[in-house]
Amino acid sequence: MTALLEIQNLSRDFGGVRAVNQVNFQVNKGEILALIGPNGAGKSTVLNMVSGVIPPSEGEIRFNNKGMGPVPGYEYAGLGITRTFQNLQTFDDMTVLENVMVGMHTKTQSSLFSCGMNLGRARREEQQMKEKAQLWLEQVGLASLAFSQAGSLPYGKLRLMEIARAMVTEPTLLLLDEPAAGLNHTETAEMSKMFQEIRANGTAILLVEHDMDMIMAIADRIVVLDQGTKIAEGTPREIQENPKVIAAYLGTEEEEGRG
Amino acid sequence: MKQVIDKWGKSFGIYLILMIVFPFVMPDEYYRSVGIIIGLHAIVTIGLCLVMGLAGQISLGQAAFWGIGAYTSAVLTTKYGLSPFVGLVASAIIPGLFAFILGRAIAGLQGYYLAMATLAFGYIVQIGITEWEPVTGGANGMISIPKVTFFGDSELSMYYLIWGVVTCVLLFSLNLLHSRVGRAFRAIHKSEIAATSMGIDVRKFKLNAFVVSGMFAGISGGLYAHYMGILDPQPFGLHESIKFLTMVVIGGMTSIWGALVGTVLINFISEGLIMMSEVIPGLQGDIDTIVFGAILVLIVMFMPEGLVPRLRTLYEKSQAKKAKAKAANLQSDQRVERKATT
Repeated sequence: MTALLEIQNLSRDFGGVRAVNQVNFQVNKGEILALIGPNGAGKSTVLNMVSGVIPPSEGEIRFNNKGMGPVPGYEYAGLGITRTFQNLQTFDDMTVLENVMVGMHTKTQSSLFSCGMNLGRARREEQQMKEKAQLWLEQVGLASLAFSQAGSLPYGKLRLMEIARAMVTEPTLLLLDEPAAGLNHTETAEMSKMFQEIRANGTAILLVEHDMDMIMAIADRIVVLDQGTKIAEGTPREIQENPKVIAAYLGTEEEEGRG
Repeated sequence: MKQVIDKWGKSFGIYLILMIVFPFVMPDEYYRSVGIIIGLHAIVTIGLCLVMGLAGQISLGQAAFWGIGAYTSAVLTTKYGLSPFVGLVASAIIPGLFAFILGRAIAGLQGYYLAMATLAFGYIVQIGITEWEPVTGGANGMISIPKVTFFGDSELSMYYLIWGVVTCVLLFSLNLLHSRVGRAFRAIHKSEIAATSMGIDVRKFKLNAFVVSGMFAGISGGLYAHYMGILDPQPFGLHESIKFLTMVVIGGMTSIWGALVGTVLINFISEGLIMMSEVIPGLQGDIDTIVFGAILVLIVMFMPEGLVPRLRTLYEKSQAKKAKAKAANLQSDQRVERKATT
């Protein structure tokens, strides 16, 4: 097992509150690692640090053996880390196709001048972006909505669009922040299948999710956080039987009441 | 060019016809000069639309770039005897440089703070122009700035020269809108976090938008100087910046065509007010400021997306009613195929 992402003693403070405390884990190449825990456990904070949205207070994040500390946020996509967002961050005034085309930003180079003059290179890249975006829209089942305004789409479709937008960047590590939130059972099952295909094509996934069915079905390993601290790590089976986890997390599953 | 016409189709065709025909429909030289002023304003507002409508960065200092452009070309041609052509090139570059330096300095600012910073910049430039008397002539201004005579020096040739520039600026911006860079601008406007996670260097692209809009304003300023033949610092202040902003907001910030439509509208209203003030003496003075202010407030309250996007939505809705859902699906599939094969 080669590590793709290594997280060492990662901590994050907000004011006086320690949201994430000395967390260690790694994501291996081509695996799905689920990060779970009760609300407020610090999952999203970890994801925000791994995706370069907020810097860690302490500790180190290494990606492909490279320290990510000094890397600015916008370089993450080019290095192979992209993400989706818990509270969707879509470009509502663009079409679905355009949204996904934004994901091709790092794969293209046309300058402002060549875009404005519509020079050969800009046209070629535009075509290339359209084709690739189209391809991913088919993968996630949104091809027929390519020219719809993103703002007019229902929630579930926007989630799929965000995944397509992340996948056109050709990531080696895909970070998903509660992708199944607000989806019905069928949609969740379809999404699980899609994640397995993405994994089969060599992209590792770090998945933050509350939907235990999805996690148990597709996760290779699970890391459990509680109040900012890692309390367990292992295969889905090991986690299900871990008394600490049952106490902290699974015991409250019913109250969390996902539909 | 052919592709552009395919892409923009009817709107561009209508634009070209109106633009070419206007001076012949209008009875006298006065209206041609109004047409020229509209063209000069349009160059500025299209640039402002890029930075404000697309990239979401408020600029209250656009008239300052306009002024820098005007004085750059005026000073180079009258004091140093350079040709107006060189002056015009400089009138794009120098304001672009100013925009770059200002943009770098205020790169971290957002919203109100950005508006305040650009506002302050506008004041500083206007005061600078007024006080730097040895070069700019101060409050008395400059006279006998040479005309641009690339196509002759009649009002009509000036009209076509300026609208030629408008057309170039328009095409450049329309191309940009539907390109990698334009989408980056729009992405930044909606969500800087999402844009960053897609690999967009937010600061760099904000700066790009700022510089382009500064350059457009500068070119317009240079042309203004040579067209007017005289300059004083008065038009390059906050009043004019707000006017540019109103034009962009009325037409619809997110639409390049909106900037153009808004510019034409505001100028027509302005002309209408001048005409009315000849009949009604009470309308003299700064009445246009009050009217534009009222229009701005009303637009923000009742039609925040602006005229052109609103009309587009209405048009699309009426089209959608006509076509049944199934037919619409078929059509979009065909469109997908066509895009994929071309």
